[in-house]
Amino acid sequence: MAELAAHWRNYAEYWRLNFLTLVEYKANFFIWLAFTVVYVGSSVTTLWVILSQFRSLNGWDLTQVFFLYALFYLAHTFSNTLFFSVGNVPYQIREGQFDRFLVRPLNPLYQVLTQPGQNWPDDLFVALIVFGFAQWLVHLHWSLASVALIAGAMTGGALIDFGIQLAIATLAFWVIRLDTLRWVVMSLENDFTRYPLSIYHRAVRIVLSYVLPFAFMNYFPATTLLHKTSDGGYAVNPAIGWLSPLVGLAWFLAAYAFWTRGVNRYQGTGS
Amino acid sequence: MNFSAYLEFAKRAFAREGTYRTEVFTSIGSIVLRVYLLMVVWTALYRDNGMQRGVPLHATLTYLTLALLIGLIYNVNGAYLVRERIREGEIAIDFMRPISIPLYVFSDTLGQSAFAFFEIVPALALSLFIVHIDPAASPLALVGFAASLAFGFIINFFLDMIMATITFWTMEIYGIQLMAQFITTLLSGALVPLYFFPGIWEKIVVALPFAAIYNAPLSIYIGRVQGPDILRTIAGQAVWALLFMAFSTVLWRIGERRVVIQGG
Repeated sequence: MAELAAHWRNYAEYWRLNFLTLVEYKANFFIWLAFTVVYVGSSVTTLWVILSQFRSLNGWDLTQVFFLYALFYLAHTFSNTLFFSVGNVPYQIREGQFDRFLVRPLNPLYQVLTQPGQNWPDDLFVALIVFGFAQWLVHLHWSLASVALIAGAMTGGALIDFGIQLAIATLAFWVIRLDTLRWVVMSLENDFTRYPLSIYHRAVRIVLSYVLPFAFMNYFPATTLLHKTSDGGYAVNPAIGWLSPLVGLAWFLAAYAFWTRGVNRYQGTGS
Repeated sequence: MNFSAYLEFAKRAFAREGTYRTEVFTSIGSIVLRVYLLMVVWTALYRDNGMQRGVPLHATLTYLTLALLIGLIYNVNGAYLVRERIREGEIAIDFMRPISIPLYVFSDTLGQSAFAFFEIVPALALSLFIVHIDPAASPLALVGFAASLAFGFIINFFLDMIMATITFWTMEIYGIQLMAQFITTLLSGALVPLYFFPGIWEKIVVALPFAAIYNAPLSIYIGRVQGPDILRTIAGQAVWALLFMAFSTVLWRIGERRVVIQGG
């Protein structure tokens, strides 16, 4: 228990340092904030252009597709804010920098996630604004249930995102070059989640629901929140939208077990 | 001017690109994924809403697939080298060499683009399994497309060069360059054909220089721009190319003088 409290104190200290770098590099912060705004702006403008010309995409209108994007971006930036540095692991293994995490008496993953740097929640901030706007556009009905659903999608989605990133990072203990795999997964995550799942072929739907369950980051919770009981000819059970936290937890636990194996193996051969 | 030296630079760049095999697979794989995505999305859009702006589905799919393929050529950014050289201060040594740095960068970009041209063949072959790509609207459209693409390439190069030259004044340029890239991608019609921009917006974005990069050659290819308009479009691109070249050259000279004076 005392150990856990110490971890929390450390973690709070890590965030204090992060915010101190923010104050120190103000110009940099504003450049990246502007970058995030432009990035989101160009994605949203693309959706706006397409859906002002074509009124609907498989029964989803502009505001609903925008809501889908906003919900994904919320979970994704939440994950980015907390777990961004896991993406550096393959590089750190290749450069031999990972070894220093192993000689310290602290959980290596905890150390990976608490490397002070210029890690700021600027994109989460933008995501909250975008989501606020999106929920207003679709006239989201606020209730205890919808708050719980959104919180579940956000945390569960962040865990799915993190779990998959962690699994890929763990592969770096075995494989040196992961660029192609990383690219494919990133594209499935960032590009394929922009549109309703119902437009894809069966194989792609299966991958996005069961294998790399990015659909639980936004699509399933969104169908529940928007009261879509059928989509593009498929029946959608509104209960599925509630499963995001469970799917996220399952993916995270599996990825963590895999990670532990990777770290042990690395220690074994590194002697 | 020593032409053979620059030819050699281009050849070196071509050979260098060939050594990055995983990157070749990554870029071709990414194209195939995105071709699938655009096929699925636009087919659903047309199924729900019918034809818009008089452009049939197969023409839009042809436009967007070709946009991804010529993106292989455009996305080569030889000018990033300038950014790195300036950041590390090595640009001062480069100024002493008996070559023109912008011309060197241009040769390097050409060499890389020539390599990217060979990547297009397998990417196109794989894409044809996913979508049907129309042939050019007419023989004239094909010639116009090639000419327009050449100007698009030049404009794109000088845009990259201008962004890289800004590094003379500010080092924290990476975020700004990425921002410029997102805006360029959107306004050039690489993701959505510009003829789908609603109302007055279409006129505005077509009038901007970014339209010259993707929208101009591809609109000619699919026959959206026809007859004398082809010539008018290409003439417009030529004007933009000259303006960008002039601006880039002037900016470079000022930046160069800054280094030489401060370093002396």
